[in-house]
Amino acid sequence: MKKLHVLSTALAAAAFLAGCGGSDPGDQSPRVAFKQMVNFGDSLSDVGSYDVGVVKVQGGGHFSINGQGATGLLYTNWTEFLAATLKLPQPCAAQTGLTPVAPFVPTVGDETPAFHDASTGGTCTSYAQGGSRVTNPIGPGNKALLNPADSSTYSNALGALTIPVTTQIDNYLAHNGQTFNADQLVTVFAGGNDVFINLALVSAGQLSPTAAVTAMGTAGAELAAYVNQKILAKGATHVVVVNLPDVSITPLALGQSAQVQGLIKTMTTTFNSQLQAGLTASPTLVVVDAFAASEDQAANKAQYGLADVSTPACDLTKVNSSLLCTKATLIAAAAPAASGAIASNANTYEYADTVHPTPYGYRLLAELVGEKLAVKGWL
Amino acid sequence: MKKHSIASALVATAALCGAGAAQAQVAGQFMVKLGWNKIMPKVQSDDLSAPSLPGSKIDIHSASALFFTASYMITDAISVEALGGLPYKHSVYGEGAVAGVGRISTIHQISPTLLLEYRFLAADAPFRPYVGVGPTFAKFYGTKGSASLTAVTNPGGPATTVGGDTEWGSTIAAGGAYKIDRHWFLDAAILKTFIKTRAPLSTGQEIHAKLNPVSINASIGYAF
Repeated sequence: MKKLHVLSTALAAAAFLAGCGGSDPGDQSPRVAFKQMVNFGDSLSDVGSYDVGVVKVQGGGHFSINGQGATGLLYTNWTEFLAATLKLPQPCAAQTGLTPVAPFVPTVGDETPAFHDASTGGTCTSYAQGGSRVTNPIGPGNKALLNPADSSTYSNALGALTIPVTTQIDNYLAHNGQTFNADQLVTVFAGGNDVFINLALVSAGQLSPTAAVTAMGTAGAELAAYVNQKILAKGATHVVVVNLPDVSITPLALGQSAQVQGLIKTMTTTFNSQLQAGLTASPTLVVVDAFAASEDQAANKAQYGLADVSTPACDLTKVNSSLLCTKATLIAAAAPAASGAIASNANTYEYADTVHPTPYGYRLLAELVGEKLAVKGWL
Repeated sequence: MKKHSIASALVATAALCGAGAAQAQVAGQFMVKLGWNKIMPKVQSDDLSAPSLPGSKIDIHSASALFFTASYMITDAISVEALGGLPYKHSVYGEGAVAGVGRISTIHQISPTLLLEYRFLAADAPFRPYVGVGPTFAKFYGTKGSASLTAVTNPGGPATTVGGDTEWGSTIAAGGAYKIDRHWFLDAAILKTFIKTRAPLSTGQEIHAKLNPVSINASIGYAF
């Protein structure tokens, strides 16, 4: 009798003591202990390829709202958010440089293209560059697109390198013993610049809409082939391919006619379907459907914490691209309350300029990728 | 193994002298029980509040723990029983839009319950089924987050933690007590609890879910 009484007292005490636990972050390490992230793609993954010359002078470098912490978020590009999630060092541009064209863009002196990857003893492995296309070496911002007689082409005087994804991968392989390894997470995210260039050719009357759609399908198939032959076949075991978000709902497209929007959407979906068709489901590959996510974010913006999915947060009368945008060049509604304050209002905007996300928009992509990696068992 | 053989000996003894001793569950008697209880939540999760992937839901898996009760016979047929026990540790999994991300959190809970019971048959019957109803108080605490929870709620930011909660619910129960001798008895019961919870995240979102668990338990009791 007495024994039982003692026992229940002890149990009650144990229950009481156990009640003292709090909120513990738990094990925050990803299930795969990645050692390195390697990024291929365009401006959407660029973490500073053009952070030299006039771009650096103006505090730019990211295709978003520049200045780490400008909007109160810790990072700017989705690959930076992802690196932090995976407990990896922050990504840095494997190659930097610009080829500015006088007299349109002044030369500062530090523009000479240079590698910062293993080929020069560096550790930077983000090969993604603004303006890069899948295969064609001439993308938006490249000086080859500059026509001194046509002021609408002057933005190309910046002289972006626009190394295409195929060459980005070749550069990585050439500088890293022709191999990937099992400790790397490799991301591939491209195609937007193929949309823009082909669209420009259509509006210039140099390409039929049908041919533009066909060109996008070709680019999608080529990107898939590069992933298969130059990444997966070269030893990579953790590859993330992000498909093209719906370009037809970006501020760029919203300013166009319904017919052009329809063409942009078809170009995007054709690229994505050829990309998807060329990829084979495998334990080593995660394909992230950014297309569906971008449409969902536009349709359910409040659910994602967004208030505006159609207005650029950067004042494009002050900067022509988010590459140069900082919290000092935001539209009034997104600007910080006082100079020196955080531009937290910008976190309700999806877009920084007509096509690039705000840091918050990139964070949403990082969440989506993180969720897919968790489902895959990598995170 | 040894425990098991003791238990089967007890059962055998009970079978042999089933209608033995006279005294049983009569008015004024105190009883205690010690046993094992399994709580199986039947989760109906709301969506995680914004900002989040639409349709982010949770599932909460079953948990078992030692439990004990103390009861008092008010009349030969009516009793009150207080149920307590060691904390339960549940695993929380992603569901809906985040299905497949795996275990995103663990959470502890204690849920003491008070039941008013009606016991059928005569006070000295060897087997007395009973039904009960009463309030449950649940305290949710001792949560642990995970890399995947942080990844989908605050990528790259400080680790997301899950807050605790306290809730009131109600429980209905049905069970039976089998008398072994004048003091010892075996008891088994099934309980259905109607309760919900709310889990606030350190990132500002929260998720509500109806838990409505079914519990089953088996115990050995002692009547004083």
